[in-house]
Amino acid sequence: MGSPTYECPISSDKCQIKIDGKNIIKLSPQERAKMGLFLAFQTPIALPGVNVVNLLRSAYQAVHGKPKTNEGKNIQNPLLARRLQSGGMDLVEFTKKLKEYAKFLRIDDAFLHRGIGDGFSGGEKKKMEMLQALVLAPKFAIFDEIDTGLDVDALATVAAGIGLLKKQGTGVIVITHYQRILKYVKPDVVHILVGGKIVDTGTARLAKEIEEKGYKQYDPSTTTH
Amino acid sequence: MTQVQPLINDTYAYGFHKPENYVFKSKRGLDRAVVENISWHKNEPEWMRQFRLKSLSIFERKGMPSWGADLSGIHFDDIFYYIKPTVGKVSSWSDLPPEIKDTYDKIGIPEAEKKFLAGVSAQYESEVVYKSIHSMLSKKGVIFLDMDSGLREYPDLVKQYFGTIIPPADNKFAALNSSVWSGGSFVYVPAGVHVELPLQAYFRINAANMGQFERTLIIAEEGSYVHYVEGCTAPIYTTDSLHSAVVEIIVKKGARVRYTTIQNWSTNVYNLVTKRTRVEEEGVMEWVDGNLGSKVTMKYPSVYLVGRKAHGEVLSIASAGPGQHQDAGGKAIHVAPETTSQIISKSISRGGGRTSYRGLVLVHPNAKNVKSKVVCDALLLDEASRSDTYPDMKIHNQEVQIEHEATVSKIGDEQLFYLQSRGISKEQAQSMIVNGFIEPIVKELPLEYAVEMNRLIELQMEGSVG
Repeated sequence: MGSPTYECPISSDKCQIKIDGKNIIKLSPQERAKMGLFLAFQTPIALPGVNVVNLLRSAYQAVHGKPKTNEGKNIQNPLLARRLQSGGMDLVEFTKKLKEYAKFLRIDDAFLHRGIGDGFSGGEKKKMEMLQALVLAPKFAIFDEIDTGLDVDALATVAAGIGLLKKQGTGVIVITHYQRILKYVKPDVVHILVGGKIVDTGTARLAKEIEEKGYKQYDPSTTTH
Repeated sequence: MTQVQPLINDTYAYGFHKPENYVFKSKRGLDRAVVENISWHKNEPEWMRQFRLKSLSIFERKGMPSWGADLSGIHFDDIFYYIKPTVGKVSSWSDLPPEIKDTYDKIGIPEAEKKFLAGVSAQYESEVVYKSIHSMLSKKGVIFLDMDSGLREYPDLVKQYFGTIIPPADNKFAALNSSVWSGGSFVYVPAGVHVELPLQAYFRINAANMGQFERTLIIAEEGSYVHYVEGCTAPIYTTDSLHSAVVEIIVKKGARVRYTTIQNWSTNVYNLVTKRTRVEEEGVMEWVDGNLGSKVTMKYPSVYLVGRKAHGEVLSIASAGPGQHQDAGGKAIHVAPETTSQIISKSISRGGGRTSYRGLVLVHPNAKNVKSKVVCDALLLDEASRSDTYPDMKIHNQEVQIEHEATVSKIGDEQLFYLQSRGISKEQAQSMIVNGFIEPIVKELPLEYAVEMNRLIELQMEGSVG
């Protein structure tokens, strides 16, 4: 996603991440987002005061909105000027959609008006990541350990979110250590990643095997870690 | 032929200014003759002339404050102390000179007025020239005038209270204001009267090197309520300006007054203001104070809680960018028992700007069962910026409950990355975080001010990211 804390392990001119055939390695996080990439964070941070509705409205506007116009630049009334420059997103329609998704994920409306992550439980934070994915409707969504720290009900809800995303045409990558989410989500392809490399590829069956036998078979050294 | 482009574009968003057109302008500098001239021009009663002259001698004697911000850039001899823009006053919008009207159009007064303002008193230069008072106000017996008219029409009322809350000897700048004051507002709310809509005044400076010394006096009689709002935007200049106001408020038994300020002077203005309230039994005073502009601000709205169960609140927002120093805060002086106070300060420093919280909680020996809470939060946007806290507590009584919390935080790369990964630009991400930080105070502002405040923060953020 372009986190400033990550560097490509191989030399940067060889490093490639492609979306629709375009290498995005040099793009900033917001440019990647605009190309349709979405990352659900493993441990989402809290942003007190940045409420969920405002965040999603700005993000939706950035990803899907028409480019801002200069119309209304000289208008002194800030509300009117902003509306003219907002690229004509239908606020009513947007809010309706947001509330539908929140209901689908069993998120209380009150959370939408709180600072994102501010005082949320682990499960609420993860649901909020899913809500963002659904609202922003990306081409590709990566869920980094969305299933950790969730109780059974929340896990089912989040998994239903993955299903809905897929149905709406989003390509989904779920990164997980456990089998249990696969009870609700049926993957098309399973990759086994060890030490940063894909060591095996298969179907849902492969995940089941791992659950039984562990990763030992992929470990180059004889000791487990 | 090639077109010559201007080399420098104005960077200050509201930095337009109009050609000067004055009826009277005093000479630069301050002496006895200038003060007498001001008093003569205003045709004031003898006691006010004496008050001004006495204040002048105090001003001359008093030294500059030895604490706070750097004030060495102020040159008292280079300042015009009085400018009278037009003859007399007008009572309706259409009577205003086109130049002044245009200036107000740019800050959006007509729009604001459409939003059912109770009364608009706008200060252009040193004199209030435009004023429209809703008939509702006078029907209820509420007086809302510029200070000059207040003195002319209600000399006894003014004489009774003027300078009693902030005497000229309080500090050098209070003495200065007391000797050369001009304009400001006079508000009187009779007992039991609630003024439902905020009273608003707009202030502007429009002459290079001209100080503004407005003087405001608000008297809220028993059980009354009023919300007074002042907002400032100022054009930009090449030389430094001085703004030194005095605001005195008297909150009588059971009355409640809220005073809201959004200060956005251009970044060459020294903004040195003394604001103080005397709160009597069960009265409530709330200061909402936003400091975004100016080169240097020193302002600590104060509440003197002199009656049992009186309550005082100060909500302060300060934002300092390159070259700015906001030295702001609040003071709560508990004189009577069972009095309560709360000071909440939020400051933002960016681009090498500096904010300081400076506050005082003082509890007198006789003030038992006092409660006071002070919260100051600072947000730093980069390494070059600075924030300091100078909380002073003088508690001379054992039976008190005092809380003090202070936090300093930085906008983290993680927070920015999170928002950026949602498609939001770095600039917008910063302004969202900053607006979120000050939201608890902004929500106390009238809607149009809250919108303007958010917009100003966005403008500042756009300029702050390289």
